[in-house]
Amino acid sequence: MRIILTIVLTFFISVSLFSQDYRFGKVSKEELEETVNPIDSSAVAAYLYKNRKTHFQYFQADGFKVITEVHERIKIYSQEGFNYATKQIGLYQSGGVKEEISSLKAYTYYLENGKVEEVKLDKDNIFETELSSYWVQQKFTMPNIKIGCVIEFRYRIDSPFISNIDEFVFQADIPIKKLEAEFEAPEYFVYKSNFKGYFPVRPITEKRRGNIIYYQKSRGEGRNPGGTTFQSEKVDFEKNVTIFDLSNIPALKEEPFVNNINNYRSAVKYELSYVKYPNRPINYYSTSWEDVVKNIYESSSFGGELGKSGYYEQDIDALIGSVSDPLKRAYLIFDFVKSRMKWNEYYGYYTDKGVKKAYKEQIGNVAEINLMLTSMLRHAGLRAYPVLVSTRSHGVPLFPTREGYNYLVSCVRFPEGDMLLDATNKYAVPNVLPIKALNWQGRMISEHGGSTLINLYPKEKSKNNIFMMAQLHEDGNLEGGYRSMKTNHRALSFREGYIGTNLDDYLEKLENKYNGMEISDYQVKNDLDLAKPVTESYKFVKESQADIIGDKIYFSPMFFLRNTENPFKLEKRDYPVDFVYPSVTNYKIFIAIPEGYAVESVPEPGAFVMPDNLGVFKYNISSKGNKLQLAVESHISESVITPAYYQALKAYFSQLVEKQGEQIVLSKI
Amino acid sequence: MNLKFCVNICILFTTLLVFGQESLYTSITIPAELKENANAVIRLDQVNVDLKSVNDMHIKGRKIITVLNKRGDQHVRTFAAYDSSTKIKNLEVLVFDALGDQIDKIKEGDFNDVSAVGGGTLYSDSRVKYFEYTPVNYPYTIEFNYEYVNESTAFIRSFMPVSDYLVSVEKSNYNINYSSEMTLRLKERNFQDFNIVKQEHEGGLQYEANHIKAFKSETYGPEFFEIAPQVLFALSEFNLEGVFTKVNSWKDFGNWMYHDLIADTHDLSESQKAEIVKLVQDEPNKLAKAKKIYEYVQNKTRYISVQVGIGGWKPFNASEVDALGYGDCKGLTNYTMALLDAAGIPSYYTVVYAGATKRNLENDFAAMQGNHAILNIPNEEGDIWLECTSQKLPFGFIGDFTDDRDVLVVTPEGGVIKHTKKYNTEENSQYIKGSYKVLDAGAIEAQAQIVSKGIQYDDKYNLETETNRELDKAYKHRWSYINKLAIENMHIENNKTDVAFTEDIRFKAGGYAKKVGERILLTLNVFNRYTAIPDRYRSRKWPVKISRGFKDVDEVEIMLPSGYQVESKPKDLTIENKFGSYKMSLESIHENKIIYKRELVVNDGVYPKEDYSDFRNFCKEVSKLDNSKIALIKTNL
Repeated sequence: MRIILTIVLTFFISVSLFSQDYRFGKVSKEELEETVNPIDSSAVAAYLYKNRKTHFQYFQADGFKVITEVHERIKIYSQEGFNYATKQIGLYQSGGVKEEISSLKAYTYYLENGKVEEVKLDKDNIFETELSSYWVQQKFTMPNIKIGCVIEFRYRIDSPFISNIDEFVFQADIPIKKLEAEFEAPEYFVYKSNFKGYFPVRPITEKRRGNIIYYQKSRGEGRNPGGTTFQSEKVDFEKNVTIFDLSNIPALKEEPFVNNINNYRSAVKYELSYVKYPNRPINYYSTSWEDVVKNIYESSSFGGELGKSGYYEQDIDALIGSVSDPLKRAYLIFDFVKSRMKWNEYYGYYTDKGVKKAYKEQIGNVAEINLMLTSMLRHAGLRAYPVLVSTRSHGVPLFPTREGYNYLVSCVRFPEGDMLLDATNKYAVPNVLPIKALNWQGRMISEHGGSTLINLYPKEKSKNNIFMMAQLHEDGNLEGGYRSMKTNHRALSFREGYIGTNLDDYLEKLENKYNGMEISDYQVKNDLDLAKPVTESYKFVKESQADIIGDKIYFSPMFFLRNTENPFKLEKRDYPVDFVYPSVTNYKIFIAIPEGYAVESVPEPGAFVMPDNLGVFKYNISSKGNKLQLAVESHISESVITPAYYQALKAYFSQLVEKQGEQIVLSKI
Repeated sequence: MNLKFCVNICILFTTLLVFGQESLYTSITIPAELKENANAVIRLDQVNVDLKSVNDMHIKGRKIITVLNKRGDQHVRTFAAYDSSTKIKNLEVLVFDALGDQIDKIKEGDFNDVSAVGGGTLYSDSRVKYFEYTPVNYPYTIEFNYEYVNESTAFIRSFMPVSDYLVSVEKSNYNINYSSEMTLRLKERNFQDFNIVKQEHEGGLQYEANHIKAFKSETYGPEFFEIAPQVLFALSEFNLEGVFTKVNSWKDFGNWMYHDLIADTHDLSESQKAEIVKLVQDEPNKLAKAKKIYEYVQNKTRYISVQVGIGGWKPFNASEVDALGYGDCKGLTNYTMALLDAAGIPSYYTVVYAGATKRNLENDFAAMQGNHAILNIPNEEGDIWLECTSQKLPFGFIGDFTDDRDVLVVTPEGGVIKHTKKYNTEENSQYIKGSYKVLDAGAIEAQAQIVSKGIQYDDKYNLETETNRELDKAYKHRWSYINKLAIENMHIENNKTDVAFTEDIRFKAGGYAKKVGERILLTLNVFNRYTAIPDRYRSRKWPVKISRGFKDVDEVEIMLPSGYQVESKPKDLTIENKFGSYKMSLESIHENKIIYKRELVVNDGVYPKEDYSDFRNFCKEVSKLDNSKIALIKTNL
């Protein structure tokens, strides 16, 4: 029987050998001879094989631990790929327990005179660095790296942190030829799997049997005093297994106007939902959004802090005592928190030192500031709720998970609509959240811990209205006055960049943004009056704004304000284009032409749109005597535009650049 | 009498200091001229360096800095770096509000303790303890008190009152004391224009700087190290992590480096040496052999930063680099040197300040300096310099990373200061030979061959290994003024022997020429427009410095659409001045064909600050002329 089994096994192994051998150390000559990646000729390196197995092991002393075994085989095609020969492994430690690495083995394979040679990574060349009190890093780089070589390594990490399984990442910055991954958890630990990314992944699930044998030592009693006996007890259980078997995964490539490329990287994150040991009550972590929110809400650092009272009432009562209008109350409280509190730039939805202490010290993390804001608004009789947010750099939370969110804002519900507030930013106004928080949807938490989704992207377009009165001189110089009025996010960005800077410095930068334009009489209005649009105005002199050829003058009537470059350069686009917020720019330009010249021709008025009115551009020009008047409108109607519209978007911008560049001709009279 | 006088002085100073210090915590007392262009003001920077012995240096300091706005936060720098030979004795931060009231106090235990290794380094034992204060309001003031002890005395903290651009200094005070058996050497730099007082006494000296206004960085201006006052110190006898030595000159320094740090690392086995001898046996001469070896190193190794071994100053053994196939600049330079030696070619390890900014080693002050290593091969027709960390650079080409500067060449007979290769204006050339055809609708079909040499080669050679997607992006970026650019063909040839980089590009661009009624407006210069007009300054403070010159020559044949004739065209012209020259000409070959020629030369040099606006006007003029257009008008057929 055993012989037959061996034969069968051998047979199977040979079959798999025939195609490709992924066992550790079995790097083939073909792999070394390959010079270009067959699926992506531009790849600098590729994973020939990537394997990760994460499972659980029971230790008598410590209980269950998470064991992760990693095996990777990397092909290096060019010098640019040499970076992939350096590997960093982060090990977490906290509360006296830590992750431990073992069985690290690594080899470089290369061809020498047609023969496969190998060289081993020496232990002395593995460096351990304590990055901080939580993180230790193991770092090594492989010896003898040359173009064409293959490196292979494997290691094992034992982790006591069963509630934090590292994300299984299926897509890298280089192609992956073959990827195998497996997650195996005993029935006691139930994990929720959260998938993301564009590359499709189809897992296979199965069940396996497992058991634990406990050894118990007991001192003999009664008839057998003094002796010690060992008892063993065997416990059977079931294991849930998820298996991934993928091949030819393309590299993930950066594109401009992408919110966060990791949103599109294929991966799965296992999050602990609950723990259920036999004959013990279930301990929930999270399963559904309801559970996630309930968990967060019931935490003392969230719900408890939100419910705290007795630290601000006197101040707030004095502030709003004589005001009964709910909207005014909201504004007053929001402004009060913004001016009193300073954000320490820490993220998270849990408080750190608590709202009371933060209030006293006038500094706190985002949870402290916006939870106290919510609490104050409620104290004022308003329907205010905390909203969980994932910031742009943190990615989009697609599936129920406590780690999906990392930020918190506040929402007040009025009959006229919702008002989103974030008091961490001094220049933020209602419904204008800081850009980092504009990321798809937030989750609003009700009084009893229930939740609903709320769209974070602004509905209202950020405006920029530009007025310009200019005199064009015969030598091509332009002189005039400029005024712009900005609202919402455009006003926010302006205020963030302007307030608190050295004016001289600011002006020098502004002048040089327009290649050394000369600016005078610079004025900003409403920079601190956030309720109004912020207005910027100045006088300017700008050289070389027209071409003088023979006795004719040619110029674009938008002068230095025109867009000269299409931001969309790639021929093809895979991911949505993120404009962050909808916007409209209006230009009203009045031009006086030089004495002794007449308008010979002006561009045609025109308008064009993107499908579904995602972009709208209007251009109108008229001339009367020696005066020209131009009106241009340019709209982007959505914060995010899907890649299906990319070709239309690219063409739209190309047309926009072209239209704005069209020339007026003046001729000498 | 003397003693009494001294005591009185001391008392006087103490009182002054006490009076002074209270007012240092509030921003109200900052003199107006120190707030000009300043994001932060150093109120008091007191450093005491006590050299108790050659392996015992105590540093104690107190720094009070007022931060005026958020851009000033970065200058607070409440951190202390340490490693195996540096022990921190005390760290403390006090925080004061605008009125000078203390609002926080941070002890050493509350500092973060992290590794100081950046992502680019495999390993280093450097660590840093830091505290980052989150300001509630501006201005605020930080007092940072620190004390540490260092066993190494190779690096002595220099006196540098101005720490950065946009920071002014109210008072900076530096004291250094040393025991009688020591010899302290020093070098003062950039002292002119600053109010700095020096006092010497037996076994010590003191510098004090008062009221230095904030510096502002300017385009085409000097580098910070060229203008900031500084005093460098070195002991004639010092300890570098357990290696003791005596150095009074670069000759001594080189001697020490060669014999203590380098000589014993040349440990190639006989078989490794034999392999090299065999490798070069068919090469005709020394240079050909050296080139072969350089390319061998380029193919075998790669650069990895590993900072271990005598404060990061001792190179890896040659055999180790041979086995691992990687090393840092020291290791790779040393390895190449060992291989050349095996082939009987003498070469010398060379210490340099690397970077696009040219920085000389102080040629009259021998001390630990530089941040990089390269290799020198003495040669009758001029020294050869090798950058051993690059897998791509041609043999003997160092580019703008280490060109034209004083370096320390380490020979067995001691150190020698030499000057590296300078790339002259004429050498940094770019020749464009191209043509384009204007179609009736305003589109163009263009092709060009671009040959770059010298520093212009250096700017482009990386393109050779870019993917097509990245190349496409690079060209769209280079010619970003062409709206509908569509590259049709790209071919790149990197001739390492002649150090010439050739790009052959063919593209189309719709709507390039503007149709205006009956006319077509055509901007003549398609391939090479000068667009980088330097910033305008309301008042220029620093001289004009053009680090490297270049020469661009373009010759482009233009095919005009039929049915049109030239209505008007720009005049031929030549501009010549001390900064360079610009020539532009148009030649009609026949009705529909013209040749556009352009030559731009910018010379390297240093000019007084009054010349800045002239230089800027030259750039503006060039940029304007590069936008010259011809007008075509429909012929009535």
